[in-house]
Amino acid sequence: MPTDELLVVDDLNVAYGESKVLFDVSIHIRANEIVSCVGRNGAGKSTLLKTIGGFIKPTTGSIMFANTSLVGIKSYNIAKMGLKYIPQDKKVFSDLTVRENLELGSYATQDYNWDKVTEYFPKLKSLMERKAGYLSGGERQMLMIGRALLGDPQVLLVDEPTEGLAPSIVTQLQNVFLELSKKTALVIVEQNLSLVSAISERVYAVKEGRVVHEISDESDIKSNVCEQFL
Amino acid sequence: MVNIFRWSWGLLLAFFCLFLVRVFLPLPFANEILIFAIYTIGCNFLLGRVGFISFGQPAYLAVGAYGTAFYLFYFGSNPFVGILIGVLSGVAIALLVGPFFVRLRSDYFALVNLALAVIMFYLFEKILAKITHGDNGLWFLTNMTSTPIIDLGNPSDFFIFTFLLAFGVWALYKYLDDSIFGACCLATKTNEDKLKFLGYSNFNIRWLAFVIANTTTAMAGSLYAVYFGFVSPEITAPSRAADPVIVTLLGGVGTLYGPIVGAFAYTGMKDLISGYIANWELFIGLLLVFIMLAGEKGIWGTLEPILKKLIFKKKNSTN
Amino acid sequence: MDTQLLISGVIFGLSIGSVFFLLAIGLSLCFGLMRIISLDQLLYYAIGAYITYALFRSTGSVWIGVLGGMVISGLVAFGVERFIFLRIYERDITFTMIASFGILIAGVGAIKYVWGLAPLPVPSPIGAMATILGTEIPVYRLVVIVISILVYVGIWAFLNKTITGKAIRAGIEDIEHVEGLGINVYKLFTTTFIIAGVLSGLAGGLHAPLIMVDPQMGLEVLPFVFMVVIIGGLGSIKGTLVSAFIVGQVISLGAIIYGPLAQMAPFAIMLLILLIKPTGLYGSKLLKR
Repeated sequence: MPTDELLVVDDLNVAYGESKVLFDVSIHIRANEIVSCVGRNGAGKSTLLKTIGGFIKPTTGSIMFANTSLVGIKSYNIAKMGLKYIPQDKKVFSDLTVRENLELGSYATQDYNWDKVTEYFPKLKSLMERKAGYLSGGERQMLMIGRALLGDPQVLLVDEPTEGLAPSIVTQLQNVFLELSKKTALVIVEQNLSLVSAISERVYAVKEGRVVHEISDESDIKSNVCEQFL
Repeated sequence: MVNIFRWSWGLLLAFFCLFLVRVFLPLPFANEILIFAIYTIGCNFLLGRVGFISFGQPAYLAVGAYGTAFYLFYFGSNPFVGILIGVLSGVAIALLVGPFFVRLRSDYFALVNLALAVIMFYLFEKILAKITHGDNGLWFLTNMTSTPIIDLGNPSDFFIFTFLLAFGVWALYKYLDDSIFGACCLATKTNEDKLKFLGYSNFNIRWLAFVIANTTTAMAGSLYAVYFGFVSPEITAPSRAADPVIVTLLGGVGTLYGPIVGAFAYTGMKDLISGYIANWELFIGLLLVFIMLAGEKGIWGTLEPILKKLIFKKKNSTN
Repeated sequence: MDTQLLISGVIFGLSIGSVFFLLAIGLSLCFGLMRIISLDQLLYYAIGAYITYALFRSTGSVWIGVLGGMVISGLVAFGVERFIFLRIYERDITFTMIASFGILIAGVGAIKYVWGLAPLPVPSPIGAMATILGTEIPVYRLVVIVISILVYVGIWAFLNKTITGKAIRAGIEDIEHVEGLGINVYKLFTTTFIIAGVLSGLAGGLHAPLIMVDPQMGLEVLPFVFMVVIIGGLGSIKGTLVSAFIVGQVISLGAIIYGPLAQMAPFAIMLLILLIKPTGLYGSKLLKR
């Protein structure tokens, strides 16, 4: 195993009660890499991210992050270690203002440097006092990613970030992801293949709870080979 | 056809065991277990099949008991008619409050039912004091005439009657469990939206389940009334609100024979423990917490799979 | 109806409502954040009242008793949270509810064991009377009302101005997201539970001079407190305050019109409100589960 692997998931099995969702899933992510997971709805992509984030307990298998095992660690501690999960539901704390949302991110990580957030998302600056419930879908996604950036995470697990967003915002997010990858690794679950091919360095195709293919060739990614796995 | 035989065997076996209780243990104890088991099965059905927890079962128990008591105290003397009237008043109240209650989420449902039990308590104790005689209760033991064949005034005849009644109730619940309706109940518990898509009305299913369960509870109430020949508001006292829930948990939620096992264990423990310590609540409370921490399966819920395995093994070896 | 009776009725209702509010707010917060129905809050209420009685007997001051009641209730709540709830938070809501009922019943048993069955009196710490519009009102009742309003302001400030409070508000909306940010939610749970326990203890201590202290007192107010929580909407602080005062008024004014109405009328009002809005006045449908 090469030493620059940041996150290594090995033979991961996950089940909800009786029904198995993931079968022997193994993936690995290097530092500052953008990796995408593609696959149909219900293939188990989100489950994979949630399991890495500590929200679901795997039945067997190992998750190693910077040479520490994440299995059995509470999700808030995983987040503190620098591995943050951004759910797909685009739920911000709607009763709290944007400022308060960010304050909570700072409170958890003790990182009060908001410049990096506003640098990526300048729009948030003008929205500070607005209740997050009144934000548009794109603004919410910005807030969710921005909130997660506090504490300088090493890995961001992003679940369907562009689902239901306008094309102009998708382009903006695309640039942000590319920019972010200078500092952190990103694992993105995505259905939008043009985004996937534009930013991914590697792609895992997930089907019925198994990783069926790993595409690491750049020209393959650019030429939309992934399409056959959707 | 084979199917019918299979479940009826289980039923017969269970009631054979109950009959043994009558033979080997004192009669009042056997009667109490029977009534308590009938009292509990409604609660068990609501919690295990429909997912509604009810801390308000005493309300329906009291309605059944007072329905019977009013008849026997003021109007007639035939205990069978009394029981019938008690059961009918149970149906009436369940039909009446059902539409309001079954719309609620299960947590609200529990609270609203508890509130109903308390209201019933005040209703029977204070507001209707003129006809219920308040805390003194209604005494009508001497009003009841003896009936031919089965004389309910006689405890051993009462046992036979209750035994047959319980058998009918269990056969009904067994039938319900195996029917489409039972499946629908389970479905509204786990995923009401999907059931809606299949074309069933959650509301109707819940309402029907609510009526069936609470009618059974009211039946237990009228049995209590006839057995003791006496009813007082104490029957719906808030401190007893948890009794059926405890027995349900003790026996095993959602199991058919859980209520019998639970009623047996609960009544037995109550008689045993209250002989040693007067402080019964402390023990029951701790027991409840213990059951919850230990994994909420209850006695029958734990025993059933083991018994099944044993019987299955035997059958295999004889083959 | 003559005005004097009406005014004293309103004040009586407000003071009853205040006690209900202090009790209900803990229940409401616990439900909102942890998704548990913490029936054991009624136990901390009784403990608050009994400690008030005990400390009054030994020190002669009801106020010291109330303070002591708050502290002891908070400590007991902390212990219960650590040893029982921490293990069952993830279970279904009905199961935590049953467990909390078990704690309540066991606690009532323990109280009977320590203090006996007989009701015990606690005198009012303020004997003075105030005159409002020509009606004599016990000052103590006014003090109870003021304390509960101060608590409301305090809770509001806590939830809106402190970071822990903001995290609790965020958690009421979506606990998983709070966890995902890296905040230790179990610390929030413990904090909330202790706050709830202390407020329940305060409610018991303040209520003690207005009633007799007896082992069943928790079970006696239980239905009313639940009406308050249900009418207000589980998880809403403002709704709890509004509905506490509604229920208080309905009880006291109902009693003036016709005695037994005191117990019946709130139930009728609750049914009516649930009929129109099944989630209560301020309850939202956003809540998961």
